[in-house]
Parts: sequence; C-alpha cells; structure tokens
Amino acid sequence: MSQKTTYIPEPELVQGNHTFGSITSLVGDIVETPAPRWWYIAFAVSNLLLGLLLAMLAYLIWEGTGVWGLQNPVGWGWAIVNFVWWVGIGHAGTLISAILFLFRQGWRTAINRFAEAMTIFAVMCAGIFPAVHVGRIWVIYWVFPLPNQMQMWPNFNSPLLWDVFAVSTYFTVSLLFWYVGLVPDLATLRDRVKSKLGKMLYGTFALGWTGGNRQWQHYEKSYLILAGLATPLVLSVHTIVSFDFAVSIIPGWHTTIFPPYFVAGAVFSGFAMVMTLMLITRKIYGLQDIMTINHIEKMNIIILVTGNMVGFAYIMEFFIAWYSGFEYEKFAFVNRAFGPYAWAYWIMFLCNVISPQFFWSKKMRTSITASFILSIVVNIGMWFERFVITVTSLAQDYIPASWGYYSPTWVDILTYVGTFGLFFSNFLLFLRFLPMVAIAEVKMVMPQADPHNYDEDGNELPKESH
Amino acid sequence: MHQAKLIDSLTYPETAKTHKILFGIALIAGLISLAGLFTDTKQFFFSYLTSFVFIASIGLGCLFFVMIHYITRSEYGVTLRRIPETYSSNMLYVGLLFIPILFGMQYLYPWTDQALLAKDQLIADKTPYLNTTFFIIRNVIYFGIWSFLGYRLYTNATNLDKTGDLSLDAAQRKVSAPGLFIFGFTTAFASFDWMMSLDPAWFSTMFGVYLFAMSFQVFFAVTILTVLYLRSKQLLTNTITNAHMRDISLLFFGFTVFYAYIAFGQYFLIYYANFPKSILWYYNRFDGGYDTMAWLLLFGKFVVPFILMLPAKAKTNMKIVGSMSVLIIALHFVEIYWIVMPTLHKGTAVFHWLDITLLISLSAVFLGLFFSKFRSNNMVSNNDPRLQASLSKH
Repeated sequence: MSQKTTYIPEPELVQGNHTFGSITSLVGDIVETPAPRWWYIAFAVSNLLLGLLLAMLAYLIWEGTGVWGLQNPVGWGWAIVNFVWWVGIGHAGTLISAILFLFRQGWRTAINRFAEAMTIFAVMCAGIFPAVHVGRIWVIYWVFPLPNQMQMWPNFNSPLLWDVFAVSTYFTVSLLFWYVGLVPDLATLRDRVKSKLGKMLYGTFALGWTGGNRQWQHYEKSYLILAGLATPLVLSVHTIVSFDFAVSIIPGWHTTIFPPYFVAGAVFSGFAMVMTLMLITRKIYGLQDIMTINHIEKMNIIILVTGNMVGFAYIMEFFIAWYSGFEYEKFAFVNRAFGPYAWAYWIMFLCNVISPQFFWSKKMRTSITASFILSIVVNIGMWFERFVITVTSLAQDYIPASWGYYSPTWVDILTYVGTFGLFFSNFLLFLRFLPMVAIAEVKMVMPQADPHNYDEDGNELPKESH
Repeated sequence: MHQAKLIDSLTYPETAKTHKILFGIALIAGLISLAGLFTDTKQFFFSYLTSFVFIASIGLGCLFFVMIHYITRSEYGVTLRRIPETYSSNMLYVGLLFIPILFGMQYLYPWTDQALLAKDQLIADKTPYLNTTFFIIRNVIYFGIWSFLGYRLYTNATNLDKTGDLSLDAAQRKVSAPGLFIFGFTTAFASFDWMMSLDPAWFSTMFGVYLFAMSFQVFFAVTILTVLYLRSKQLLTNTITNAHMRDISLLFFGFTVFYAYIAFGQYFLIYYANFPKSILWYYNRFDGGYDTMAWLLLFGKFVVPFILMLPAKAKTNMKIVGSMSVLIIALHFVEIYWIVMPTLHKGTAVFHWLDITLLISLSAVFLGLFFSKFRSNNMVSNNDPRLQASLSKH
C-alpha cells in the first residue's frame, strides 16, 4: 500500500518571512537603540522596591527574626513560602533550556534566553530567604563543612543543608548555561554596536568568538553537556525543597508524592511567569514574529498538563489521608479545606486546578488576554499552595492548647514586595543590555538553516547538487 | 541528501505462525498452572496477580505512549507507533484476564476477611473503599476506559491507513487529551486496588506514580525488543531507522532515570520518616531473600542501564539497548514479585513453579494477541501526516 497523504508541515516557528539579517536587527536593535521612556520609569520603580528590600533586610538583621510573624507553633512562615515560590518559578528556565533541548524541541529557541534569565533572577530572590532566616547572618558560613576548633559540623542528615548545596549548584549551572548560550550572540552585538565601551564589553564577554566551524563544534558539545547536567538539577532542586517538608513526620508534610508533585508545581508556576513576562515584552518590543501564538499555545498546554499534575497530587493527598485511617493525617487535610485557613486552600484550588482547565479550549489557549490573566492567576495560586502547605500543617499541631493563627507582619509583606524589585531591576537590565532572544539559535530553526534539494512531498528536485 | 521513501513491505507475513505458537504455549502453560489452582490455591492467585500486573502494566505503558505521541505530535514515533498501539488495543482481553482475580479475592486481599475487619478497626475504617462490590465496579470502570481508549486509538489509526482521511488524525488528539487525564487517575487507583491494598494498613501517595513509572519504563523495553524481533525477520528495516531507535532509546534512558527517581523518592521518604505504619512494608521487603531482589532492582533497573546507556553512541547500539531491554523486562517482573509476594511469603522469599508457568502463560497470551492483530493491519501507519517527516529523520 502506498502513501495517500502528503507531508503536512508544522507551522513555521518564525513567522513573517524573516531573513537571518532581519532577525539579527530585530533583536539587536533593542540593545543598540536608546532605551524608551517606559524603561526608565519601570527601572526607577524597580529600584525603589529593591531599596525597600534592602531596608527590610537591614531591619531584620538588626532586630532579629522576631520582626517576622513567626511564633509557636508556626515556626515557618512567609520566608519559606517565598523561597519555595521563587525557586519554583526558576524551574521553567532550566526546563525550557535543558530538557526541551534534549528532547529536540525547536520551539524552545524563541523563549529560552528569556526564561533562563528569569531563572537566574528568581533563584537570586529565592536565595535571600534561607540566607537571612538564620538570624545571625554573619555566621552563615557555618552551613559549609569548614574545619573549626569548636568541632562543629553541619547536619548532613538535614535536607535544609542539602538545599544549600542544591540551590547553589543549580544557580551556578544555570548561570553557566545561560552564559555559554549567550557567547555567539554577544559576538554579534560586539560586531554591531557603535560605542567603544560597548564594543569592548561585549567583546570581552564574547571570548573572541568568530563563529568558525571549530568553535561551533566545541560550543554545541559544551551546550549539550551543560544541558545534560542541568536536567537532573531541575529535578533535584525542587525534590530537595520538597524534602524540606516531606522528611519530617508532620501530617500534611510527610507524604511520598511530594517530590514529583513539587517539581510539577515548579514547572507550572515557572511557565506561568515566563508567560506573563513574555506577553508583555513581545508586545512592547514587537517580537510577535519570534514569540508566536504557536509558542503561547504550546506553553499553555504545558501549563494545563502540569496544573493537572498538581491537581492529581492534591486529590491523591486527600484520598490517601482518608485511606491511611490515620486520624492526624485526616485532620490535617480536612482542616486545610475547612479549617481557619480554608480561604487560602480554596484560593489555591481555584487558581491551580480549576483555572488552567480553561486551556482545554483552543480558543483560550491562543487568546493573549486569557493567557495573560491565567498566567497571573496561576502564580497567585502557587504562592498560596506553599502557604497552605507550610502554615496549615503547623498552625494546628498535636497539642490543641498551642494552636494559633499565623499572620504576617508588615516586614514579611514588604520583604516579599521588595524581592520583586530585585527581580525586575535585574530583568530590566537584562532586557536593556543583552539579546533577549537567542539570535543564533532562532536562526537554526528557520527554514533557511535547512537547505535541501527535495520538495515538500519528498520528491527530488530535477537538478542534482551533490 | 536523498529524501527517504517508504520502501518496505508494511504487512506482517500472512504465513507467519507466531501467534499460533504463542497461543499454544499459553494453553499448555495455562493447563499446567491449573493443576496448581487445586494443589495450592493461595499461591496460584498470588502468582496469577503478579503475572497479571506484569502484562497489564505493559499494556498501560503502551497506551500512555500512544496518547502522548499524539498530543506531542511526535515525529520519531510515527514509524514505531503501531507496535504499542497494537499492544494497548488488547486492553479488553487484559481486562478479561482480570476476572480470575475476582474469584481469588478472598485469598489475596485481607480486607475481604470479615473476621479481620471485626478485630482491626484501622482496616474496618477503610471498608467504604475496600469492599468487594466497589472493587469490582472500579475494575470494570478501569478496564472499560482503557479498552475504549486502546481500541479507539487503534481503529482510528488503522482507518486512517485505509482511507487517508486526515480528520482521523485530529480525532486521535481529541481522544488522547482527555484520555491522558483519565489515564492518570485510573492507573493510580488501579495500583492501589491491585497491589497497595494487599497490605491494607500500608499507604503511599506515590504508589500510583510508582506503577506508572514502572509501566512506562517497561513499555520502552518491550517496544524496542519488538522492533529488534521484526528486524531479525528483515521487516521494516528501512522504515524504522537508527534515527528512530536513537530517539526511543534516549527516552528509554530518560524514563529509566524517572523510574529510579520515583522509586527512590518513595523509598527514601518512608525510610527517613521511619513511621511504624509505613516502614513495615519496606522492612518486609528487605528481609529473607527479598533484600537481594531489592539490590538487584537498584543495580539492574537503574545503575547498570544508566551507565551503559549514558554515552550518545550507546543509544544506537542495539546490542546495548536490546540487552538492557531484556534486563528491564525481567526485572520489571521481579519488582512486581517483590511488591506482591512478601504479603504471601512473609520473611522468606519462596520460589514456586506457578510463578513461572503463569508468567509464561499470561505473557504468551499477551504476545499472541499482539501478533494475531499485528498481521491483520499495516505495521506502520502509511497515511500518517507526519510519516514523511519521520522517515526523513536522520
């Protein structure tokens, strides 16, 4: 039997009949032309928030962690919630850049640079919280196994310590991965910018890249190796974050589904954050040809899938809490949904499980407005998820006499708000000074990069070229 | 470069007697096993359950792959897809093979024992879920859904072969998307029903994901070996190319790591918390011969395949990938044995001949069903809209 159908090509990843040259100018011009006025305004606001963050941290270190809302029995509050939230957001970058790369998903090229940058800044925001929560930050180096005359060693049995290593490794590898990917594009900018200083700086960081064959070979090999290294890190970081909770024996925390559930949740919130930022930037900078509706749709599908994984985990937790026959386990979950924090639980459930269901419809998946609103809703939901897990499991513990209701203080709130200042200050600098789309990689997925001598039906063209 | 074309014959040789031989084996092994039903009834049902989960999990892994293939519009999978598609189209028969278990429930599941329920409040509390009627209803639902999905995906695909009607390709995605959603829940609850409730006091939220991870890992091994079998018969040698084998081996490698991650995660969290309620399950599985199996699983299902399949070149070396597939399939059975059997033989692993005869019988049925169906339709979707892209992969 022969084939009756012909080859149906996928929609082109880059729309709008671009040439290699026009892609370079589309992305390069953003860096080379003066920043628009909105950028200065946004940067000023972000800096103000960053200042707020620094002030809050200084106040915290001066006064001690008592300025936070922590008190018995809730010994973990907004700090860990914010930590997990930010570090979770960071996961999308590595997922897009490393895992989708290993799966040879060409569509990642439009958003990987962007997502990787977001990862790095999100991990920076995340790292603040565990660092400052120790109280006496001036002895933070005690987390490292340094020989000392007090014979004092970190507790290697504690996932909190593994976190230090996991997050710092993750940050380092993500940064390296981002930088290696940037090298060819930095060389492009070096060759294009007019200012002497720009030429020197881009030139320095481009490491003498000339785009020679040998260089590309080395580049691709190192990129592949870094992708291979980064992939287990995506799993490990959030797995260890989930261990922070799950190795304990607190009902609501000790449940075996936590590792994959946290990873799915992290990818979920990370994609939502990439979506929010991408929809704004593609509009402002006119990158609709590179970050197309197809990209948005694919990302929305991933949001839907991971949202359902998170929903699956919620349902499994609830079911097994009942099935376990363990009264404390049952109480922890019933209390989550109907206790004093029910409002938080239902916000979480609505935002994370119900809202992504809109993406079953193709119309919603390809609607910019819907994508934008839902991406923000998802991140609100994921913040509440961490809040629900952390606080509700602690507030009503085994001894009813010590039950309490946790509320954050103004320091908690303003510190969290301040982290957005850190994030956006960095992000705006990135948009201003670095190519926000991987120029070289986008070119690789354009049809021009695949010259061939057969037509779309696979028939050879009359003229044989080699 | 020359654009690839479909040049192989797409039909499995009519004269091949593969399925008849397999059904013959199944019948003989089945009849021998029946003797065991009368001599050692309890053992029979435990051995039966082990082998049943073995074939059912392969079917489930295949079903998942077919659905995810359509959702992701995978290109490499086009030439391979008919293999898992055919395996999973037989879920109805797998469901029929579940019926004997319903007759052995009183031997398998302690929660069917009224005397125990009267004594043990913890298990009695679970009766709203763990009771015979609901158990049967649930399993009818699971197999109903899986049979429907497997059958529908298979018939749509074979109709596409015949008619070239591309709306069928879109229809596959309409089945697959909700299919995956339902698959997740049904597989999880099936894992609770079949295996977790053997020890009704024990519970783990990860257990459904654990069965899924095992199933998906073994699916790759089964598919790879099926392709190698076809290649040994000089079938599809130009259609399923090294590029396709490289991609499927890459995913085989990836999901071997995923399996290890899930299996270790579950073990580790229970080990670390060391709750009497949940640690006993593992305690019984690290004792009296079961500990050897556990180490075998660690090395054979993760460490060795991980090291051997890590290099990029290994993924096109069919000696390595093929031998790892054999290893994984064998250990997949060992793992189910390791999960199921400690309930029957607590403290010491006791090998019984029924374990082997039933494994042979059920596997031969499963493979026989595969080959009898595989010859009635094309071995590759000749009208798949992504076939050309798939053939041109290099």
